[in-house]
Amino acid sequence: MMKIARNPLVVAALSAALAILLTLGLGRFGAYMVHAVAIASIGALSLNLLTGFCGQINFAQAALLGIGAYTAGVAGNAGWDILALPAAGAASLAASVLIGLPALRLKGLYFAIATLAAQFILDYLFKFAEPITHGVSGLVIEPMTLFGHPIQSDQGYAAIAIVVVAITWLTLSWIRRTDLGRAFLVVRENEVVAQGMGINVARTKMLAFLISGFFAGIAGGLMGFTARLAHPEAFGLSLSVDYVAMIIVGGLGSLPGSLLGAAFVTLLPEAIQRVGEAFNIADLLAAVREMSFGLLIIVFLIFEPRGLSALVMKLYGRVRLSRGPSERPQDSVPFETKLQPNEIK
Amino acid sequence: MLLLQLSTAGIAIGSVYALVAIGIVLIYKCSGVVNFAQGAFVMLGAYLTYGFTKLGVPAHGAVVCSMATMAVVGVLTERLVLRPLLKAPVVAIMAVTLGVLIFLRAICLIFWGPDRIAAPKLFPEGAVDIFGVFITYNYLAAFALSICLSLAFLAFYQFTSVGLMQRCTADNRQAALAIGIRTSSQTALAWSMSSALAALGGTLLATLNGLSLGLADIGLIAFPVIVLGGLTSLAGALVAGLLLGVLQAFSDGVLTPAFEDFLRAYTNIYSAGALQQVVPYILLVIVLLVRPQGIFGRRGTERL
Repeated sequence: MMKIARNPLVVAALSAALAILLTLGLGRFGAYMVHAVAIASIGALSLNLLTGFCGQINFAQAALLGIGAYTAGVAGNAGWDILALPAAGAASLAASVLIGLPALRLKGLYFAIATLAAQFILDYLFKFAEPITHGVSGLVIEPMTLFGHPIQSDQGYAAIAIVVVAITWLTLSWIRRTDLGRAFLVVRENEVVAQGMGINVARTKMLAFLISGFFAGIAGGLMGFTARLAHPEAFGLSLSVDYVAMIIVGGLGSLPGSLLGAAFVTLLPEAIQRVGEAFNIADLLAAVREMSFGLLIIVFLIFEPRGLSALVMKLYGRVRLSRGPSERPQDSVPFETKLQPNEIK
Repeated sequence: MLLLQLSTAGIAIGSVYALVAIGIVLIYKCSGVVNFAQGAFVMLGAYLTYGFTKLGVPAHGAVVCSMATMAVVGVLTERLVLRPLLKAPVVAIMAVTLGVLIFLRAICLIFWGPDRIAAPKLFPEGAVDIFGVFITYNYLAAFALSICLSLAFLAFYQFTSVGLMQRCTADNRQAALAIGIRTSSQTALAWSMSSALAALGGTLLATLNGLSLGLADIGLIAFPVIVLGGLTSLAGALVAGLLLGVLQAFSDGVLTPAFEDFLRAYTNIYSAGALQQVVPYILLVIVLLVRPQGIFGRRGTERL
């Protein structure tokens, strides 16, 4: 299964088919859920490249998404058409280079706190730079235009988001198979060893930040377009924590895990909302959502540090085993788990 | 006069920051865990004090009850959440304490709701007049309590045999085990003391600023404090806490108005917003870039 999933043509064809199906088949709410999950997936993939592959934690992911949203908003409103998305990517890329600079000197906790500081400072700038961001009232964003056609429907955004997820996925899985991708893993495991192998650690980390920032910016841009508003409250520390939760729940260093985690973390509040409405306890909802969130992070880290992706693979392996001896169960172990993604130093 | 007034307020708040930061340093030294949940301990401690007064416990007794309860919560967190992750990577440990933070926040939200609550009165109303500077009893008490407790802590660490065992465990776990120190109970002790300190810090902050879920964010300011002070230095945390408190008070009272005047004169931005909330982080970034080991920290050696 994993082998097929890694074939670029298959992925491209699948996502195109899905995108077309969506525009035709899904209702408004379904399409909304799909683009919410897809956009979260792009953000989770981008963070997973940095944290899962390269071992650098980043608590400023929400701020990077925010920069993407504001840039896409400003560029889109100025009539940049589809170019607004790459522009958002570029802006976040630049910001993530700035955030990543301390990473060249700092490690572990110090670096985590530096990204925390970056989150707070950018959060402040969103409120402060009123001429661009319109401060606390938020920047109203016109619908995205695709080669002159404004996109009004949720189905349209769902289709675009799925295509972007596919592009992100292909890029990341390609990067992982290059020398750079392997350098990421070595840097994650042990910087001193990496240096000994002739890897330029500073350059490798910086590239991880660059790539991760670019995709975060694009995810943020899509967020801005679908929400039609870029608001500082939407890009606070809690969103950063959401993304850290996504890649932990999904599986650090696992591409399918990023998608699973994004879907889980995005859909869980919706599910809780439904249950809450059914039992008429709407007041407790926000609290219950947060509580299950905290519990999930704790439980996953203690009992299944490789996340949902490993869990799914275990179940899949069991099903295949029970079918007969001709199947080779180790095929079902994903590429990622052989690299022991949970052992980040 | 304004400057003096600001400094006293800053020192009072800063001493509470120091108290909370010392708790984080304590846990880090003893178990190598960076406890992002300290902010949640601060908040939960404050709410527990409030809860105990609601149950009819007199205010000062409630503080003690809250500290005791939080000590238990701290030990439980260590045993249930961090013990299974003893050999886990740093990222996982940071993330799991974030999970605890979110969880405890939700608990407070369920029990006490999102609205700001008037904190229980611990100290008499009114203010003393010292050379024309008015200091309310709240501030005075917060300052005196925090400083006394912080100093008592430093003394405990330096001069008692249990303190020596704590330092030993923090310095080298294996060696501590070899000379017969129960490192697991030392770790538990560090967690319980740390969360009791957080409970007191939270209660004091609540008497100054009111009781709300925002207290958890105030706990986060302890992180710039410990980085400034050097992660492993208790005295550094104390000094850096006071420094940041004063800095925040000044940026609130002096810097923000000046900055806003400047903005209105030269740009069309009208408000500088909550500048005092980002100033600690800006300072933090500068310090990290210039002197990553903090003002009082020592550069550690790296082992393979």
